[in-house]
Amino acid sequence: MKRSLVLLAGALALAAPAAAHHGWGSYDAARPVTVTGPITTSKYENPHATITVKGADKTWTVTLAPTSRMMTRGALAQLVAVGKTVSAYGYPSTVEKDEMRAERITVDGKTVEMR
Amino acid sequence: MTEDAPAIFQALEASNFAATIRQSVWLYPFANVGHIVALVCFAGAIAVMDLRLIGALAATAPAKVIGRARRVVIVALCALAATGFLLFSAEASHVIMNPVFLTKMSLVAAGIVNVTIYEFGAKRAVMALPPGAAMPQVARVAGFVSLGIWIVVAGLGRTIAYF
Repeated sequence: MKRSLVLLAGALALAAPAAAHHGWGSYDAARPVTVTGPITTSKYENPHATITVKGADKTWTVTLAPTSRMMTRGALAQLVAVGKTVSAYGYPSTVEKDEMRAERITVDGKTVEMR
Repeated sequence: MTEDAPAIFQALEASNFAATIRQSVWLYPFANVGHIVALVCFAGAIAVMDLRLIGALAATAPAKVIGRARRVVIVALCALAATGFLLFSAEASHVIMNPVFLTKMSLVAAGIVNVTIYEFGAKRAVMALPPGAAMPQVARVAGFVSLGIWIVVAGLGRTIAYF
């Protein structure tokens, strides 16, 4: 009984960080970054819209939200079209190089939450 | 697109078919929800089959219980494969490199091998049994293995997106 409780606690401790991010597990929330610059490519597609942004240091691949969620929040395809200047606040990927997942983006003075 | 993936999966992801799935507002969510609905039907029906093989629901003859559940299982499995293929195609080059997806597919194959062994090895004997009769050992093992495999497959399926 005691041993199974220890095992259960161990399993929960391992599971907790993953559950806390809920789909954001492979992004480092402890190192938030803000990338600002022109959008160089834009894919308004499922399961997540994706843009590349020419930042000051390098070009970032920025993962946004599912298209239906973005539409609901007023972030239509033309808001994140190539050539627009975007400011994306989010977390760098711990897996893919130069990729981040945006918590929110600001374009044309309009801020849209992605989570 | 991931260049590490085998060319056929890169080609699938780059196809018009996959692009249509990604660019449609409703197609990807439809496949996503459809996959879960099919899973629910599949899980329920296969649990009935497996439990009968293990020895539960013994008041009814195995041929009756298993025969009816089997039809639902087959239709639901086809629906799972169809919706799963849509979801897979949209991100084929990434998903094919996903260790959780590969584990899941290996277990799906194992589940199909398990049911094939049962169908050829024990089905005839099981189907002839009257209500309340003890199940042969082979059938009980097949039922346990199947139940375990499909529960883990469902769990892994949910986990793919997190790796």
